[in-house]
Amino acid sequence: MRLLDLRARNRNIAARFARPARGRGSAVISVRNLTKRYGDVLAVHDVSFDVAEGEVMGFLGPNGAGKSTTIRILTGYIPATAGTVQIAGLDVLSDSLAIRQKLGYLPENVPLYPELRVEEYLRFRARLKGVAAREASAAVERAMGQCGLVPMRARIVGQLSKGYRQRVGLADALVARPRLLILDEPTGGLDPHQRKEVLDLIKGLAHEHTVLLSSHILAEIESIATRVMIIQKGRLLANGKFADLATHLDDAPSIRVEAKGRRDALLLALAPVLRDCAESSDSVELRDGWVALTLRPRAGQDPREAIAERLRTAGLPLRELVRHQRTLEELFLRITAQAAMRGPEPAAAPDAASQPAAAGESR
Amino acid sequence: MRMLRQLSILLAREVESLYFTPIHYAVITVALVFNGWSFWFAMQLSQGNVEDAVRLFFGESPLVWLVMVLVPPLLTMRLFAEERRSGTLEMLLTAPVGEVEVVLAKFLAGLAFYVSMWVPSLLYLAIAKSYGAIPDVGPLATSYLGILLLGALFTAAGLFASSLTQTQVLAAVLATVFNLLLLLVPFVSRFIGIEAIERFFVELSIARHFGDSFSKGLIDTGHVSFYVVLTGVFLFWTMRSLESQRWR
Repeated sequence: MRLLDLRARNRNIAARFARPARGRGSAVISVRNLTKRYGDVLAVHDVSFDVAEGEVMGFLGPNGAGKSTTIRILTGYIPATAGTVQIAGLDVLSDSLAIRQKLGYLPENVPLYPELRVEEYLRFRARLKGVAAREASAAVERAMGQCGLVPMRARIVGQLSKGYRQRVGLADALVARPRLLILDEPTGGLDPHQRKEVLDLIKGLAHEHTVLLSSHILAEIESIATRVMIIQKGRLLANGKFADLATHLDDAPSIRVEAKGRRDALLLALAPVLRDCAESSDSVELRDGWVALTLRPRAGQDPREAIAERLRTAGLPLRELVRHQRTLEELFLRITAQAAMRGPEPAAAPDAASQPAAAGESR
Repeated sequence: MRMLRQLSILLAREVESLYFTPIHYAVITVALVFNGWSFWFAMQLSQGNVEDAVRLFFGESPLVWLVMVLVPPLLTMRLFAEERRSGTLEMLLTAPVGEVEVVLAKFLAGLAFYVSMWVPSLLYLAIAKSYGAIPDVGPLATSYLGILLLGALFTAAGLFASSLTQTQVLAAVLATVFNLLLLLVPFVSRFIGIEAIERFFVELSIARHFGDSFSKGLIDTGHVSFYVVLTGVFLFWTMRSLESQRWR
């Protein structure tokens, strides 16, 4: 019964978010029914989305979900099995060269030539991307400035720390002033301090470029993206503004209750409230007879007052009653968990996500 | 125009990378020692007849063939294999450059390095000259042309091998096998005993092409185009191999 309910709700969510944000003309990236198969493994399944000019699109999903595969198709590195990708109105297959000129791409593991110096490397990349010889120095200077690489200009790339390699990769993506930046896990493998620096850097770029960045760390996306897509097992589960995603889920923020007493006594006292909640509530026994309850009320409902009242009448001491706004993390876990409950559909390979190599997360 | 500019940018980078790789100097050193030995050997055999010595040295000494077969694979093994292993190939192929430029740049860089390895052999001629022998310029020039064409062929074969794998050593072994097949199949085909097959393979023999024409001072367009076409075939296969990895 409950499962059916969830399925119906999921379809609603999917229907709501599947619609493109704008018409195809104004989109910098326009993806329609993109499918990628590696042999029997379905890495990306029927994915459609748009990214408008000036947007910072966050691309979220667990490892092996199909993020890198999708990104590699967008950059023209690998072709799709089916579906179309347009970038700035050009088809990624037939106008690959023209598209690559508008694109700054940072691949997942930031592959760089280790034997070159930072400045030499960036100069080579700038020239390769069509920056004229007399403008190359200025372009390299600007990119190094943006990415805080000026003190490192004479260092050999192979000897740089992970954080600085990441910056060199970013500077590379930026050096020819592309219209679109595609960054695959730009903060992968960085420590929290470096991560913040790189994120601030990307945030600073947002007003000049349209950005698509992938991550499996949700807090990152939450802090810089204007819109979020969630992908799992090759399927796009959600696509929208973060706030919209949260409100479009049918239920309200969860409520945490800590009260003292036996668990069944507690549940009995709160039974009328619980009956009104959308789905199962957790209860955890804490030390010294305290019990923590997490309730998920239906949308638009705030049963906090009723909870306090009922516990008081039942004579059960209450020490905490908090309403949690949904974090992206929670949202993500719930959306992906719901998708998992739906189970594999006939068209999908049962374990696309459990084969990260095939799904393109690793080379 | 744009293609040429991109090619020159890539070529500069590839040449730089070849000269920055320490192992290539080891390869060249060994090759030079072999060449020197082989020249000395040729001088001994020809008993001071410089013309004979030069002919022996270019093309008829198995030592020189050893250098020609073994060195190009060691110079080309990393060209694609290393880029694939480290992932920089993705950076390269998502930049606005065509595969043709990428393959040609690597090929020309490898060939340039191979050619630079032969430059010191001019010294041998200077030494021979200082002993009063004036070698015939014609056969010498065609011998060098032959070495260039053969180098181009083996470099292209090596490049193809390198595009097939991520492992440099495997690329080198594969390339050596290609080269040995090109060189030895015509000899082996003699033992099959069917004349048609033998004639077919002898026509394809790179050693025969070399011996019949280049080291004798002849430029036979048939022989020249034989090498050029085979080189082109390997370069074409390299491009297809790059493409097919994307489609897989």
